[in-house]
Amino acid sequence: MRTSTAAKSQTLLHHLSREAKGENLLAVILGLVQVSMVILFAYQVSQILNQVVYESSSERADAITWFWLALALLIRTLAANWQNRLGNRASIKIRRHLRKEVLTHCFRLNVALFPQFNVAELSNLLTTEINSLREYFADFVPQKQLSVLMPITVIIASAQINWLVPLILALTAPLIPLFMILAGREAAVASRQNLEQLNRLGNLLADRLKNLQAIKLAGSTEIEADCLEKQSDTYRHSTMKVLRMAFLSGTLLEFFSAISVALVAVYLGLYFLDKYEVGHWGGDLDLGDGVFLLMLAPEFYLPLRRMGSLYHAKIDAISVAEHVVRLQDLSLDLTEMPHSNGPEPLKNLTLNHFQAGTENALHQSLSISLKPGDRLLLNGPSGSGKTTLLDSLAGLRPLYSGQMLLNGFPLLPHQNKQWWSTLGYMAQKPELFYASVRTNLCLGQNFDDTQLFAALREARAETLIQTLPGGLDYEISDSGGYLSGGQAQRIALARIFLHQPSLLLLDEPTANLDPETATEFMHQLEAYCQSGGILIMASHRPTDRSFFNHELTLNPQGRGQ
Amino acid sequence: MSSLHKLYLKLLFQNKGMVLLGILLAVITAFSGIALLAVSGWFISAAALAGLTAASAHAFNFFTPGALVRGLSISRTTGRYAERVASHEATLRIISTLRSNLFRMLSRRNWQEQQLNRHEFSSRLLQDIQHIEHIYLFALVPAIVSLCVVAAYMVTLWMVLPGALPIILPLLLLVTVIFPWLYSLRVQQPEQKQHKIESLLWLQCSATFSCIRTLTLSRRLPEHRQTLLQIATSADEAEYIAVKRQQQVLLLTQLVLGLMSLGTLWLAIASYSQELLTGAEVFMLLLLTLGTADVLINSCPAMANLALGIAALERLESCFQEIIPVDKRIFSQDISGGEITLQIRDLSYTYPQQEKPTLVQFNFEHHGGGWFWLQAPSGVGKSTLLHLICGELQPQMGQIQCQNLVPSQIGLQPQRIDILRASLRDNLSLHNPLTDQQIWQALTLVELSEWANNLPQKLETWLGDGEWQPSGGEAKRLGLARLILQDPQLILLDEPSAGLDSDLTQKIFTRLARYWQDRLVICSSHDLQFRKEGQPLLTLKTETDHLD
Repeated sequence: MRTSTAAKSQTLLHHLSREAKGENLLAVILGLVQVSMVILFAYQVSQILNQVVYESSSERADAITWFWLALALLIRTLAANWQNRLGNRASIKIRRHLRKEVLTHCFRLNVALFPQFNVAELSNLLTTEINSLREYFADFVPQKQLSVLMPITVIIASAQINWLVPLILALTAPLIPLFMILAGREAAVASRQNLEQLNRLGNLLADRLKNLQAIKLAGSTEIEADCLEKQSDTYRHSTMKVLRMAFLSGTLLEFFSAISVALVAVYLGLYFLDKYEVGHWGGDLDLGDGVFLLMLAPEFYLPLRRMGSLYHAKIDAISVAEHVVRLQDLSLDLTEMPHSNGPEPLKNLTLNHFQAGTENALHQSLSISLKPGDRLLLNGPSGSGKTTLLDSLAGLRPLYSGQMLLNGFPLLPHQNKQWWSTLGYMAQKPELFYASVRTNLCLGQNFDDTQLFAALREARAETLIQTLPGGLDYEISDSGGYLSGGQAQRIALARIFLHQPSLLLLDEPTANLDPETATEFMHQLEAYCQSGGILIMASHRPTDRSFFNHELTLNPQGRGQ
Repeated sequence: MSSLHKLYLKLLFQNKGMVLLGILLAVITAFSGIALLAVSGWFISAAALAGLTAASAHAFNFFTPGALVRGLSISRTTGRYAERVASHEATLRIISTLRSNLFRMLSRRNWQEQQLNRHEFSSRLLQDIQHIEHIYLFALVPAIVSLCVVAAYMVTLWMVLPGALPIILPLLLLVTVIFPWLYSLRVQQPEQKQHKIESLLWLQCSATFSCIRTLTLSRRLPEHRQTLLQIATSADEAEYIAVKRQQQVLLLTQLVLGLMSLGTLWLAIASYSQELLTGAEVFMLLLLTLGTADVLINSCPAMANLALGIAALERLESCFQEIIPVDKRIFSQDISGGEITLQIRDLSYTYPQQEKPTLVQFNFEHHGGGWFWLQAPSGVGKSTLLHLICGELQPQMGQIQCQNLVPSQIGLQPQRIDILRASLRDNLSLHNPLTDQQIWQALTLVELSEWANNLPQKLETWLGDGEWQPSGGEAKRLGLARLILQDPQLILLDEPSAGLDSDLTQKIFTRLARYWQDRLVICSSHDLQFRKEGQPLLTLKTETDHLD
């Protein structure tokens, strides 16, 4: 399971990076331009030093050599800048694509997202987590290819003059991935052992601040602060254990990079002092050749070192990708059925051996026939699948088994948009989104203010709206302390009166209301039923049983609560 | 200097050994890297020039530079490793103390009126803390390394090529002072804006997912998807522009550094032709300059991180400067000791952002134990009253008097039960020393002992985000268990029965009525079916009652 998620997340990242194939290709080309310019720069420097110092043939070297020298520097800098900007653009493009895909997938899964995912988690995924992929797609992806291509270019360039220096470089190079894998594996083992602990302790402060009230009410903030310090210390110990291993691979690159410069310098120095004569192709090495080779030696390891410094970007990217994969694994049969029955007036709704559930049926099969004005109470303890049943009736989830008949004709409710247009749904927490009251009421349809106020009056929310700043245009947000639970529920009820759905599904709508408001609420529902609506309400604690003319008790199947 | 700046400096001082070691090693590493290049350059060019004649080649001492080159490459490597370990160790040590100190300071503030669980505020807060945590590793260390490298470079130039100083100095000034300052401006401005847009996106995401049923049935999801993507696009644009601007400053920096290298080479050659410089020193100077330039390119981000860290310290500071309201409740003790008494007179409260009072002239008096049910339509101030008694809010008018009671003996169960990311035991005890027996007894009282027994690690099972998540009803009952364990004299319950099954609630409330029979309990609830015989009912006046 774990390995398959890891493999899938690798594939996902690879797949995503192809979204910006053009940009990446150009970035790689620009990387090669940079290394070519470095080579040109080194060559021109070697020419100048040769002419001025070694051969003393000129006092200042040719103007043309200086021109090329300056040009090489300029082009290298510009190319690096362009590469960065391209990376930036590619990264935004890919993340935008990913965000879109994740969002589309979430909306397709719809209520099936819960309870495996919660709202805060999804919001985090779509914002912070996807944004943390920035560096991975901007820098890591092109650098991965460049870390192979750039050293090869350096080897080819230095091989024009000498065979021993490129050989020194080429021989040390294969050792690097080997050591990196070894050190990386050690670090991975160390970090896996600590992963749970690291994850817990790393986010402790955020968690404690979020839940500060509980600690304050218990009067133990001082002790908690001491605990935080102690736990952070534990965190430090386990983090350092991982880091000490992880830094080894970086150090290794540093080592080879430093030692290759030293080796090349010592080799060249002794060569010039005529201690030996190996390594050149024929002819003698002059100072210019030495300068050229020495300047290229550190360039050989530079791309690898750069990639090493981006390694954390990869680790972050994998953890985000795993989260996305976990979401994608929650797939669902979403084939949309050809739906024949249109929004005809609902005269009769029949359930035949109706059962809700995903892998198992959640309750016994239900059969009932309802006509306009009927009120059905779904009674059952929490965990008996009331919400899932309502979701299945609404066509938000596929049903487990059974049949639904609309005016005598079979109806496939799942994903049936025509069916949706005849429904109203009220959840336990009133579903008001961050927009104006008007937008919340209209839900995309056109109503004038008279209609809106009529509906609000029926829901006893008229005065409430009039006292809100801006009235109907009051923007509902998370910061306003204006709407209490009951008030929000009344606005949601006004929405029902405004749209007059043929079937109203209610999921414990009075759970958070005081008895007066709850009674008033039920009373207003009566008006809805009298105007010909069918009402199905789920509750584990019905306040007014007499209100309903049908009642079904759900008996949980299988695992129970 | 503000208290937070002082705190940060104090933390640096407390860990000065590791802090200085990290910086010292970083400087040594940078010096070794530059010196390795410079000495190698000098060595090969000196050797090449000496190699021109057999006699000078023979006389050339190659042992010293050879050993120096090897030594420098070793010190660069080990220095880098040790530097990283030491600076991370120092950072984590600072973070440990910093986190607990910030927590202490934040917890002293009154958060009831400014909600800490509001996303924009809390995410800003956490990001600021992160910026502060980054000051040492990503700002101080690289900045000090840059300064040392610049100083060493200037000393070398002064010794070898003093004529270059007037030209190189302004360039260095640009690269180490002016451009980093520009860069940090370009980081700071959009950082705020980007954070705002991102937290707006978060809120919209969260609102959309919370309303998914209504939005689906009314087929508004595509529209909301569009809105979300639009906000995301504007966040992307802000990021694009911000990064582009930063890149522009970096481009300037790099061009100036390039100019510096060329200038040094040109001047070195000029000096050589005047025989003020040896041939080997020309190449050495060029490599020295290139190595220095490689280090200096980091001074821009370092400065930006410093600026972000300082801005974060100031923002947090301003958040602590708000006046902590004085507790207006009056506590007194009878010398003889007697029953607890709660007296409330003409209590009114208006939330800061509202015009109308939420609670209007509430009066209450009771001696001794008893269970009161607080009843009022929603939005009339039941929770507000409980928070006032508890001291989480302070009234604008009226008085609360408690006799034979100390503040710590008042316990409140809030509507939303916070579940900490910690073990079940820690979640219940909240650092009070308790025996297993006490915990299990409390769990039994709220019908959770079976649930707890079925948890994978029983009392040691971790709850909270990313761990075992209790359901809404379980969380409510955990809140009750917490109160039972805190053993307060005055118990305030805010909607304790919401989301619980009737049978279960009936059972628990009957038990609690007996368990808390000598305590004073005020319970706000809309479920009066659980009210027992002899439990009085309190009603709250509403604003409209007045008007009517």
